[in-house]
Amino acid sequence: MEGSYYLTTAYLGMIAGLAIWTWTVVTRSRSIELRLAAVESTIGVEAADADSLAPQSIDRANVDATD
Amino acid sequence: MRGRFAEVLLGAGFFGIMATLYLGFHWAPSVSINAFESPAAQRIFYWHVPSAWAAFIAFGVLFVGSAMWFFKRSAFGWRLHVAGTEAGLACGLMTVWSGCVWGAAEWGTPWDWTDVRLNTFGLLTLLALFLVLGRQSQPDGVETRDTFSTFGLYGFVLVPLTYMATRIWQIRHPGPVVAAGDSGGSLESSMALVLMIGALSFTLFIVGHMLISMRITQLEQRLEQVQNSLDGGI
Repeated sequence: MEGSYYLTTAYLGMIAGLAIWTWTVVTRSRSIELRLAAVESTIGVEAADADSLAPQSIDRANVDATD
Repeated sequence: MRGRFAEVLLGAGFFGIMATLYLGFHWAPSVSINAFESPAAQRIFYWHVPSAWAAFIAFGVLFVGSAMWFFKRSAFGWRLHVAGTEAGLACGLMTVWSGCVWGAAEWGTPWDWTDVRLNTFGLLTLLALFLVLGRQSQPDGVETRDTFSTFGLYGFVLVPLTYMATRIWQIRHPGPVVAAGDSGGSLESSMALVLMIGALSFTLFIVGHMLISMRITQLEQRLEQVQNSLDGGI
């Protein structure tokens, strides 16, 4: 009976570990996707264009500075 | 598409892990009551060994990612490093936890400070904990990445040391039961099958996890880039 107690304790701990780890990763993934979508919609770019945004922004800033 | 693939791997791995638990409890035979102090607790082994296996894979990924960042300045390498540390920490903690509980049942003590395998594996898990917490507390930059990559590179020496520990020093931790070389494995075939299903399932599960983790790191970097460009544009 004592062995079953240890067995249950070990598996419950590992199940909790798996659940917390998976929950953390999935919620982080959803959260960052939502934040990115919100920022991109605010500045009016498509997600596919977002990677090329930084160089364009720098060019625009340079043009503004010369004006 | 890659996100969906990662979730499929995660789901398949989870299903396999639960199947391993079921088979370990209901299908695998019991061990001899003469061979163990606590025969019932031996069934901890069906998740303990696969989670240790998965931790070794994660530490391997951490090493490769650290090397790719340190020597090539590869952004992909840094994402591997981050995914490897998180998976290594999760699997390492599960292994240490289940090992401690089994040790308490079988040996009467959860930890033995004289056993090499216990201590080197414990150090590996602490290294992963340090890397995860350190990355969260430091601003991202080349110097930070170099520092953590160095720990990832040098820390990897503990992996072969941990693997070989019970082959060189038989102190407290049981010796190898599979891939035991000339001494041969002592595992009954149905037990070995459940263990293999467990190892495969944990592998699928952490690969899915690491793919999602790499995607999160990529999205975090893109978000930072977009926010920086927004600040610069204003």
